[in-house]
Amino acid sequence: MNLAHLHLLLNHFPIIGTVVALGLFIVSFIGKNDDLKRSSLIIFAAIALLTLPAFFSGIGAQRAVRKDPLVSTAVIDRHEGAAMLALFFMLITGALALIELWKRRRIVTEKPWSGTLLAILLFSLITAGLMARVGTTGGDIRHPEIWSVKDVTQETGLSSFVHIFEPKPSKFTDLMLVSKYWWAFMMDLHFIGLALLIGTVGILNLRVLGFEKRLTGASLHRLMPWAMAGFGINVLTGTLAFIGMPSYYAFDAAFWLKILALLLLGLNAAVFYLTDAFESVERLGPGDEAPRLAKVVAGSSLFLWFAVITLGRYIQSYADTIR
Amino acid sequence: MVPPTFLRTIEDSGFSTWLRESESPFAFYFVLLFHTFGLALLVGANTVLDLRILGVAREIPLAPLKRLFRIMWLGFGINALTGVLLIIAYPTKALTNPVFYLKLTLIGFAVWIITLLKDRVFNDPKLDETAMMARGATLAKWSIFLWIGAITAGRLLAYTYKYLTYPC
Repeated sequence: MNLAHLHLLLNHFPIIGTVVALGLFIVSFIGKNDDLKRSSLIIFAAIALLTLPAFFSGIGAQRAVRKDPLVSTAVIDRHEGAAMLALFFMLITGALALIELWKRRRIVTEKPWSGTLLAILLFSLITAGLMARVGTTGGDIRHPEIWSVKDVTQETGLSSFVHIFEPKPSKFTDLMLVSKYWWAFMMDLHFIGLALLIGTVGILNLRVLGFEKRLTGASLHRLMPWAMAGFGINVLTGTLAFIGMPSYYAFDAAFWLKILALLLLGLNAAVFYLTDAFESVERLGPGDEAPRLAKVVAGSSLFLWFAVITLGRYIQSYADTIR
Repeated sequence: MVPPTFLRTIEDSGFSTWLRESESPFAFYFVLLFHTFGLALLVGANTVLDLRILGVAREIPLAPLKRLFRIMWLGFGINALTGVLLIIAYPTKALTNPVFYLKLTLIGFAVWIITLLKDRVFNDPKLDETAMMARGATLAKWSIFLWIGAITAGRLLAYTYKYLTYPC
């Protein structure tokens, strides 16, 4: 298996996942089904997380396919630009879904609509459309038989309008590298996000594991929006760093293990919120001992976050370890 | 201006050379990793304390958060030690850069704030939560400001140095 393999495996999830989640989301309004709505929001967030490795693995696939004389660089660049635009809309949709999920836990509302729900509908519709284009332009690279015109890089109709907003990959990369101080600033934010995230997630995990039992689970869980703010800062600055030096990260074993650890953290969060582990932590009063499942989830979370830091720190020394 | 020669003496020592040049994953990057762990413990724990004092997640009882000071001191200990090791690895790089002294100053003040938070807010049993928050508010704001400054200065060290090693 190489990065091209990985790309071909992962690239279907954002396209199909967005459509599935959007479908469930719309049906949840028609059927007035709140559980269905919650499910669709969870899928949006999960797909946003999966879109990251789908995007990152594209650089590896690009290197593999570039050697083929029948493949044109312009067609690849077109796909990459489309993917970059779709990625940003997908990340916004995922972030909005998490905000709505958080609001849903706190406030029981009779109102069918809210600003956040409307924004999710809008952004997911755009994302689904952009993802379709990412799929088509990706298919165009290896399948000239689906080309509708002689030269697909000459955009027509709606595509030519969308194409205006698609960044030229090399231009965007140059923009990230414009100054070492801009880069230093992004990395600075990445460390500040790290401290915010580890501090807030860490104290909740430690309490579940038995540290300072006078603290209650529900009160510490109120810190989660701050943890998510730190995570959001780091997904954004991390993605921008990748776009700035794609081939530095894409062929780095430590980088890919870090992404794997982040996906496992997503899975861990799913286990926490979708089993009774969450309710048991919310009920954790002064002096209470958490049940075993909650402790396993908290321990895994701590371990995986420190693994993420460790692997991030070793990216520099593992550059070019994937051929 | 030529940097003082004691920097070269440190750099030429076997330990410094090993830290800097060894291919082992347990040399330079290992020290750097623990410097980041220390940051996560020290600044992470302090941030939670600051946010709570400033009114975030008020349901969290303040007094038990005193235990966070232990985590902060553990992080500080790790970083003082790994910090010294990082200076031994690249003495010229660090000590000829004014930003390095700025970073130390900011950390000095931030750690001083930690001791003030402990003495004035957490070690006074007469205070109720409202009084603790009132007394700690200014300290908490300074703490956040100083840590952002210290992290920023630390990050800048990788981009602003004049010499990487002693100029021959």
